[in-house]
Amino acid sequence: MRLHYAWGLVAAAVVATGAYVQGGQGRGAQSTTGALARTADGKPNLNGMWQVLNSANWDLEAHSAEDGIPGGLSVVEGGTIPYLPAALAKRNENRAQRKTADPLSKCYIPGVPRVTYVPYPFQIIQTPKYIAVSYEFAHTQRIIYVDGSPHVEALDFWMGDSRGRWENDTLVVDSTDFNDQTWLDNAGNFHSDKLHVVERITPIDATHLNYEVTLEDPQTFSRPWKISMPIYKRLEPNLQVIDYDCVSYFWRRTIKSDSTR
Amino acid sequence: MTRFSASTAAVVIACALATAGTAAQKQPAAEGKAGTSAYKPARTPDGQPNISGMWEPGPGRPFENPRGGPWKPPAGATGANGAAFTFFAPGDQLPGGRSTEKGPMVFDPPDGIIPLQPWAVAKRDEIIAHQDKVEYLDPRVRCLQSGVPRANLPVFYNSYQILQIPGAVVILYEWNHMTRVIPLDGRPHLPASIKLANGDSRGHWEGDTLVVDVTNFNEEVWPVGSGAPPEGAPAAALTSGHGIVQSDQLHVVERYWMTDADTIRYEARLEDPKVYTRPWSFRFDAFKRGQPNHQLFEYACHEGNRKNIQLLTGVDIEK
Repeated sequence: MRLHYAWGLVAAAVVATGAYVQGGQGRGAQSTTGALARTADGKPNLNGMWQVLNSANWDLEAHSAEDGIPGGLSVVEGGTIPYLPAALAKRNENRAQRKTADPLSKCYIPGVPRVTYVPYPFQIIQTPKYIAVSYEFAHTQRIIYVDGSPHVEALDFWMGDSRGRWENDTLVVDSTDFNDQTWLDNAGNFHSDKLHVVERITPIDATHLNYEVTLEDPQTFSRPWKISMPIYKRLEPNLQVIDYDCVSYFWRRTIKSDSTR
Repeated sequence: MTRFSASTAAVVIACALATAGTAAQKQPAAEGKAGTSAYKPARTPDGQPNISGMWEPGPGRPFENPRGGPWKPPAGATGANGAAFTFFAPGDQLPGGRSTEKGPMVFDPPDGIIPLQPWAVAKRDEIIAHQDKVEYLDPRVRCLQSGVPRANLPVFYNSYQILQIPGAVVILYEWNHMTRVIPLDGRPHLPASIKLANGDSRGHWEGDTLVVDVTNFNEEVWPVGSGAPPEGAPAAALTSGHGIVQSDQLHVVERYWMTDADTIRYEARLEDPKVYTRPWSFRFDAFKRGQPNHQLFEYACHEGNRKNIQLLTGVDIEK
């Protein structure tokens, strides 16, 4: 499968964005820029190893600890996710089967934003036009286009299609083109293929980022809603992505448990 | 979307290439050797030779010379999933087109035959004879990582994006979302106890050539293998590099250099005292410049493999 959108359209968008970027060197309202490293093009330097340290991967909402599941506060603004009634019933059904039904238990690509808060680090590689993220979990890969190009149309991906832009010191990433296969956490919180995600990544200081995400999905939620959490820089010298090769472990498990062979 | 049928059907390698043996004896031109190109690449802002951009697989040709005689497919056979048996015969489709270079990619030893130890030859025969059994199946067909240097060999459904930041070269592979971050800052390799399917890469620039030292391999994947071999072909007839195992002693030294504005030539030397009788090397034009608006598309290999997993193991991953 290979699609190329009209190059003329992309060129026009790049020109427009170029003008925007020229004027975008101001200070973010909430960011502390004093100790912040910057790239050659003047943007906050996000290169390095990062990780979220909370229990959002198990449940975005407030929850008690259970066997193998750390308890935690809600990361949802207002505390609970505004489901439509039918969707809430589906979430509760998912939750009852979480041990086997969580797509992560099958080593599937986690989707966005969950890939950010699975309990594994990730590495950001930042260039002016492309910001790539290499995740330890299942060697998931993400390329955020910061070149002014538009979303691809009428396709669906596990990770969606991500287009970013800088608003002062905040990296704003708009993602669409999702499938309906991923969960938002291990507690069965889910979405449809109408999901639209806007992530806002703002440096707090040199070693902390604020991660705020707006999720919109009129088939699943009664209104757009937000989660937020800090992302922490991993400071160990020479730390690098050490693949959690989930599919390999899946095969070992599956071949071993197969009695017909 | 399943990738099993695509990977087995789309790329079938040469088994009836009667002229391979003689063609291999020709020495490659001096221009083809690492670091000998007259082409001077532009520089990145931090002074690296600029190899960034969108890239597609380079032109294909046989990877190795067969250690046995040519294999004739049974009469009426059409190959894996209907694809032609003779991958390198005139008219066959190749991922990056057809190379005009003569002989196989393996140039050292000069006979073009991978110097396997006798047990590794026997193991290869066993593996290739049992490709219908999941325990022997090509790791790529099980959606495991491509491995190194295999990730750079031509295959359908792959393209590459190279990013350069101060202190690192990053290769993003479309095939099964593989990412290689290659540090250039002189840091040591990971401790030997850490094993990775794609190994641990450390790079440096020698003039305009990127030299990457790769160690810390696990034994889960194959080191080489271009495309997919035709069903029924014995290992001794293969010219694709399939069915060769790797040990945790594998050590790969890669060289990447531009020979013109649109070509990255690639050479790799493989050393594995548990598998080979001596180190060996191959080279070819691995990356051809892609369109500027090219982009890598998500390759959800394992996620689309449910039917094949069920077929091979009896386990339904969704139940």
